[in-house]
Amino acid sequence: MRRLIDWADHRTGFRGIMHEALYERIPGGARWRYVWGSTLVFTFVLQMITGTFLWMAYSPSTRTAWESVFYIQNEMQYGNVVRGIHHYAAQAMIVLMALHLMQVIIDGAYKAPREFNFWIGLILLQIVLGLALTGYLLPWDQKGYYATQVATKIAGATPLIGAQLQTLIQGGTEYGHHTLTRFFAMHAGVLPAALIGFLVLHIAAFRKHGITTPDPNRGPESKFWPDQILKDAVACLAVLAVIMTFAIRYGAELNAPADPSEPFLSARPEWYFLFLFRFLKFHAVEQYGLAFGAIYIPGILMGILALMPLIARVKGGHFFNLGFMSVMLAGAGTLTVMAVMEDNQDPDFIRDLTLAKRDAHRINELASSPTKIPVEGAVSLLRNDPLTQGPRIFKKACSSCHRHNGKDGLGFDVMEVVEGNEVPALETAADLGTFGSREWVVSLLTVYPDRFAPLKNLKDENGESIGARFLEGDMASFCIDNRDALLAPENKESLEAIVEFVVAQSNRDFTPPVNADLVKAGRGIFETGTLKKGVIADCMSCHSMHARGEEAALSEDGYGPDLTGYASAEWLKSFISDPGAEQHYGDNNLMPAYGEKLSEKELDLLVRWMVGDYYHAEGSHADENDAETPPAESTEDEIPTATLGEPDADDVDDAKTE
Amino acid sequence: MSKTLDALPETKTEESQQKGSELPATDTRRDFTTKFFAGLIGALVMFIPLVSGVLFLLDPLMRKRKGEADDGFLKVTTLASLPDDGTPVRVQVIKDLTDAWNFFPKQPIGGVYLRKIGDQVLAFNQTCPHLGCAVDYRPAMDAFYCPCHASQFSLDGVKQNVIPPRDLDSLVAEVRNGNEVWINFQNYRGGIEEKVAL
Repeated sequence: MRRLIDWADHRTGFRGIMHEALYERIPGGARWRYVWGSTLVFTFVLQMITGTFLWMAYSPSTRTAWESVFYIQNEMQYGNVVRGIHHYAAQAMIVLMALHLMQVIIDGAYKAPREFNFWIGLILLQIVLGLALTGYLLPWDQKGYYATQVATKIAGATPLIGAQLQTLIQGGTEYGHHTLTRFFAMHAGVLPAALIGFLVLHIAAFRKHGITTPDPNRGPESKFWPDQILKDAVACLAVLAVIMTFAIRYGAELNAPADPSEPFLSARPEWYFLFLFRFLKFHAVEQYGLAFGAIYIPGILMGILALMPLIARVKGGHFFNLGFMSVMLAGAGTLTVMAVMEDNQDPDFIRDLTLAKRDAHRINELASSPTKIPVEGAVSLLRNDPLTQGPRIFKKACSSCHRHNGKDGLGFDVMEVVEGNEVPALETAADLGTFGSREWVVSLLTVYPDRFAPLKNLKDENGESIGARFLEGDMASFCIDNRDALLAPENKESLEAIVEFVVAQSNRDFTPPVNADLVKAGRGIFETGTLKKGVIADCMSCHSMHARGEEAALSEDGYGPDLTGYASAEWLKSFISDPGAEQHYGDNNLMPAYGEKLSEKELDLLVRWMVGDYYHAEGSHADENDAETPPAESTEDEIPTATLGEPDADDVDDAKTE
Repeated sequence: MSKTLDALPETKTEESQQKGSELPATDTRRDFTTKFFAGLIGALVMFIPLVSGVLFLLDPLMRKRKGEADDGFLKVTTLASLPDDGTPVRVQVIKDLTDAWNFFPKQPIGGVYLRKIGDQVLAFNQTCPHLGCAVDYRPAMDAFYCPCHASQFSLDGVKQNVIPPRDLDSLVAEVRNGNEVWINFQNYRGGIEEKVAL
């Protein structure tokens, strides 16, 4: 063995190299304060290892980047761990780099003869920031997409060559496949290679001048191996423990796939760039243009940093540098805290963050479904998902009059601006949160005036209340005349039956499923009004009806709304398109026709959301249309409150705490 | 780092070498403990990310094929479209394809040669069992011939030279509803004598 080593050593001289690498002199002995450089090298090695493995599963294109990251994160074994380490080690690197730089400045290690090494260090800092920036885009999720847009726009603000520079960086005038291939080549190829090159120079220069010891006579001189390496290793272990804790406890975030047509208002850069983000928002900065705040000012500050070794030659220069560093740190810290606090107090930001989290959760369900991701990419799953788009369309088109379980469809209060203040907006039409459910039909039969109470707020152009045609109309009269009979305990089953008959017309999936016997009994009541005890006005005198699954019409030419297919997707489409049509409200109608206002696709998504026709992930909430108490239990003169369809309280809490 | 080494005077290395070996004997034990833990912890911090990464890389090995929802048979053509004289016809096999995160409905996933013999159908996977090229039907040779390495098989799939390790891979074919040809499509490992399903 020894001969083999001798043989190899004669030909390579590796013993000398090893010796040189390991037996560096450390005057004053190994110390904990020297570990920062080593932990930085260690986190970089961590990034190389995890990055290489991630590379083997990552696919850079606008239709596969998010998808492959989703697959890494959720399908591949240990994918979440490897990606989690990569994600948090990147952040650890930024923190460690800041600590390293601070120490170099405080100890005066930047001063002659170590100027060059200080400058090399600043180059390394830029490379690491470049790696962080390019890596942020690669998952191609909403957050990375919109945050990186800011960075490339800053590049576009460069004087003279801005537009060309931005196009070059992006690989086109807009983001696309080549933005990802370029960012990926930078992130996994060019920047790491540059980093290794400058790191070699950095360590070589460091070894040439030796360690900067504030106190060389502190203790007996020791060597890098093993004394300092032990301390370095323990420090690396601590760093790794922190990274692993974050990686496993929280995991790396993956938002909804990038969608240029879907704004992401809660886009923020990664926390270590927040100070710059906040700085750019100052009016005093903003008024001089983007280049001023994002290029000139940071450039000048970096310039002063680079000049530190020269400044230190002047008497008192070192103290100036220390002061400059402290002011910079305090400034960045203050700006970061400001940015976080402002966001946490901004209801709009919290709302957008809640929506972003909801979309991220939903795309996870859709992409994990048995039909997986179509070749058009995951973004098409969300665009075509009724549960995602329906509430947005409801908010846009319906929520100025209607509510959905008291909210705007997306789960937030509907507000309007009155004399400069946001106040809750007045609802002027029925709450549709439970539309078409058993609970809904019960309320029509027993508490009709309450169900449509918001119509009281509806006024015509002269300020006259115009809701009376419904609130005091025939159906209201029917309800008032017959509800005591319907709600009588003996008629519990009769009420259930008529409700069952009506909801069966919608052909929706109900939980529990539609009971055929009850439907049959309900059909009789619809026809004759004969309850178990007593007789009420029948339904078919007013309502036309072509019962589902029957050849002949049950009733025709009723003057009230036609109930054929009531609350089904087709009925809803027809109704929303033209509520004033003969078979719907006719002349009584107060609702605008949306046939022309909504596209066919929007109408389809809205209606499918309302009838619950969308992918239900296993283990998710039961059908939201049927989250109701059994009909007979809702005997109070109130509209039963819905239990589902509101945003998870947890989501909102999360948004606040983050 | 080599730059530094070149620049360093030879003597310094020797000097430090001597110093390294001249540790007082009392320090030897402490020195060993330090070395032991430095090595152990150093190895540990590299081991954790490496092992996570390797386990991540081994993902395909751990991935079980999901059971077929149907009986594994696919309709590929009609009996009427096959010539009565038993001439081989190549048809595409169309199936829903799942590839990592993607789902592609109705994709060509392979090709088979079909021969009608009476009211039965013979089916062969077109992939050569030698090294995986697609074999060609050569009417002039009255054989299946692989253009890559000259494997040759009779029209019954029996190998006719020593190049392929086994006969062409036959597939189970069924005629259903009088006219539909269904096959149980399957790929097999290449280059070995046994017919092992992938």
